[in-house]
Amino acid sequence: MKELSLGELGRRLLHLIVSLFILLCVTFVIGRVMPTDPVGAIVGELADPKAYEAMRVRLGLDLPLYQQFFVYVWGLLHGDMGTAILTGNAVTKDLSQAFPATLELATLAVLISTLIGVPLGLAAGLFRDSAIDKFARVFALVGHSIPVFWFGIVGLVIFYAGLNLVGGPGRVDVFYEGLIEPTTGLMLVDSLLEGETEIFWNALSHIILPACILAYMAMAYITRMTRAFTLEQLNQDYVIAARAKGVGPVRTVISHVLPNIAVQLITVLAISYGNLLEGAVVTEIVFSWPGIGQYMTNALVIGDMNAILAATIIVGFIFMFLNFVADIAYALLDPRTREAAR
Amino acid sequence: MNYLCTRLLVGAAFAVMSFGTPAAFAETPANQLVIATSLAQVLSLDPHQATEAKANEIMANLYDRLVSTDGSGKISPQLAERWEIDDKGITFHLRKAEFASGNPVTSADVVYSITRLLKLDQAAAANLKRVGYNGGNVEKLVTAPDEKTVRIDLSGEVTSELLLYRLAMVIASVVDSKELKSHVVNDDWGNAWLRTNSAGSGPFTLNKWTPNEIVILDASKNYVAGPPKMRRVVVRHVPESQVERLMLERGDIDVASALTATDLATFTGKQGYEIQRVPTGGFYVLSMNAGKEPLSNPKVREAIAYGIDYKGMEKAIMGPYGRARTVPVPENFEFAIPSPDWKLDVAKAKALLAEAGYKDGFTLNLKTIAQTPRIDLATAIQASLSQIGVKINIMQGNGADIIAAHRARDFDLLIPQTGAYMPNVLGAMEQFSSNPDNSLKANNAGNFVWRSSWDIPELTAITAKAALEPDAKKRGALYVQMQEMFVAQKPAVLPLFERYEPIVLTSRVQGYVGHPSQTTRLEGVTKTEK
Repeated sequence: MKELSLGELGRRLLHLIVSLFILLCVTFVIGRVMPTDPVGAIVGELADPKAYEAMRVRLGLDLPLYQQFFVYVWGLLHGDMGTAILTGNAVTKDLSQAFPATLELATLAVLISTLIGVPLGLAAGLFRDSAIDKFARVFALVGHSIPVFWFGIVGLVIFYAGLNLVGGPGRVDVFYEGLIEPTTGLMLVDSLLEGETEIFWNALSHIILPACILAYMAMAYITRMTRAFTLEQLNQDYVIAARAKGVGPVRTVISHVLPNIAVQLITVLAISYGNLLEGAVVTEIVFSWPGIGQYMTNALVIGDMNAILAATIIVGFIFMFLNFVADIAYALLDPRTREAAR
Repeated sequence: MNYLCTRLLVGAAFAVMSFGTPAAFAETPANQLVIATSLAQVLSLDPHQATEAKANEIMANLYDRLVSTDGSGKISPQLAERWEIDDKGITFHLRKAEFASGNPVTSADVVYSITRLLKLDQAAAANLKRVGYNGGNVEKLVTAPDEKTVRIDLSGEVTSELLLYRLAMVIASVVDSKELKSHVVNDDWGNAWLRTNSAGSGPFTLNKWTPNEIVILDASKNYVAGPPKMRRVVVRHVPESQVERLMLERGDIDVASALTATDLATFTGKQGYEIQRVPTGGFYVLSMNAGKEPLSNPKVREAIAYGIDYKGMEKAIMGPYGRARTVPVPENFEFAIPSPDWKLDVAKAKALLAEAGYKDGFTLNLKTIAQTPRIDLATAIQASLSQIGVKINIMQGNGADIIAAHRARDFDLLIPQTGAYMPNVLGAMEQFSSNPDNSLKANNAGNFVWRSSWDIPELTAITAKAALEPDAKKRGALYVQMQEMFVAQKPAVLPLFERYEPIVLTSRVQGYVGHPSQTTRLEGVTKTEK
């Protein structure tokens, strides 16, 4: 059994690497053939052609495409993703700053959405066509169909400008800016590590609204899927048998349905988490959140190819990695695959 | 699963608590100025490299120049307390001042700075290179006779007066050469370090810059006039106008720039706020590609000039952003001529098109950056020109795309914007009236007129003549002649609106006066308590 699962693991890892390489190739080619002008972005609009050409050579953009690709991959293998035009920093350094901001937001969002979405989906499935089911369906539909931009602005108007309940855009209030040395890059964690509870509460008041808005978007999907999974299980013979034996509805769900839908649910949660980690571009812009979504957007605007490539690869990697983890979890949790292996 | 549940519960607890706990909300502190703007274009804070307006605003507070311009466009002393002009050049006498590091400001620093600007040879250098200073001759022309004296000889391509204006630009900032020399890597003149740090004698020092997030300036203890009242200036990146508006209403920021016309309008006459309309000396321009039919025909260009509803657009779109003006010199500048009679006149425009042989009109592409207000201008131009039979296809793009197309002459129509580098006719107009070599081979892509393939040898010659005319009266006459000739030639770079940068301040802020060259100094700004 051990050999088998190791082999399987290896096969999936290989898949991951090949997919990443394909992603790299496609992004690189699109990036280089796109008619943007990174050189112009650096030297300025009014620079004379000589300065322009010199910068082009310095960036290595005068080399043939295959050579540029080779140089890039070689650097990548050595952990060098190039220098970002926008910041002049190594792209890896930029990402190590932008990514934790997104990670913090996405993690909080996925926690909130799971906590509300899963129970709501279960209840909706269990009490099909009841008031709670109807509510859950409308709730999910609204979350799915209203643009996040609108939600963000309205959320700010109500909770920030109107009710004074939450902090505004940015990760903390201005007078707290720069007071926390990034250790993990997660503001909530770092402020606690430094014992700055005041900053912790401030950071929390800033993150809670964007996190809730993102969570709502994700929740729409999670609720609907949980409901569908639950309904599917409730029609199974084993559930009917359990109910016939007199098992109450709540216990049915907790002891019978939940363990059986856990596997599928993990896939759903992993996908949601992956989506959130891609950097919720619009949310990050509305909330001036310095995450990976905003970083990528700005890089795109000025045609900063190193930054775009690196961010795409990281996002792609995360997505594939989460899928990979979900697959593994699937194999581990599903009694059938476990049995088959035995 | 249990572990997961625990984590979920902890997360939920946090979420609930945050709603229950009133966060410590306060207005901005009285000794900090908080400015919200878009920092998306800020790529460097090295004054000898960056040229973008927002970067200039920041750098103008980190560095001093020899001289500066005041709000009305007059040259005023900064590091140089006085100067003497002779036929051959200018002699500057430095005042006593210190860099933030504590090093004294000496003439060696000034020479080093100008040399660095020209040898680094980035976009910023173009402003001195255009008038004959370059990496090759700088050591000869810029010298330090003694520790407190700087001598700059004329290059032969500029007058002393116009040279002073160029030295008043942020590009001529004086950097701390001792400090900077310790940060040089691979002969980069310390550029890698200075992009994200400061080494100046200005009222503030750079504490932190995180691109697209925040810039924090701290008061400099060594500033010559004593540390400024604002202990800290925070410039926060808020790309979304509506959000900026909410933050201003809530008192989380003190100054808001980059608001859309709609959001700006909500502060008109509102108690507790002040709107400042800061002139830029620049224009929103309709660039036409005179290198191809039909725009190579001056009659067609004139028809287009008569086919645009300037007044209507001024009212509906520009609002606080601009004022209709079809001569590339702001109306309040000395020697500015009135706008020509170009206004929406459908019959006249159609007649001109018929004369040019385009009775049935034609189709053109209009490229523009997808940004307020230019995107709205594009739509309005489309609607306006359709009345005279010219069909417009709008092609939107991001900054890099559109600028690349502009540089490559790959457009029919395009909407760029300009700024004046000095507050006089030449500073505003030179980019509209000078194109020394229109050939494709010249590839003078940094030149605005070249990009439009508009060949104007006479106008170029007279512009060059004006730049070298030392006599103020004669120069004034040449300025008027330049503008009249520009209009007569039916410009392929048609100015539409004089450009303003509207900003909104809370009334807690005192002493903030937006500078027309985007070099607003914040040393005199104070704030009242709530």
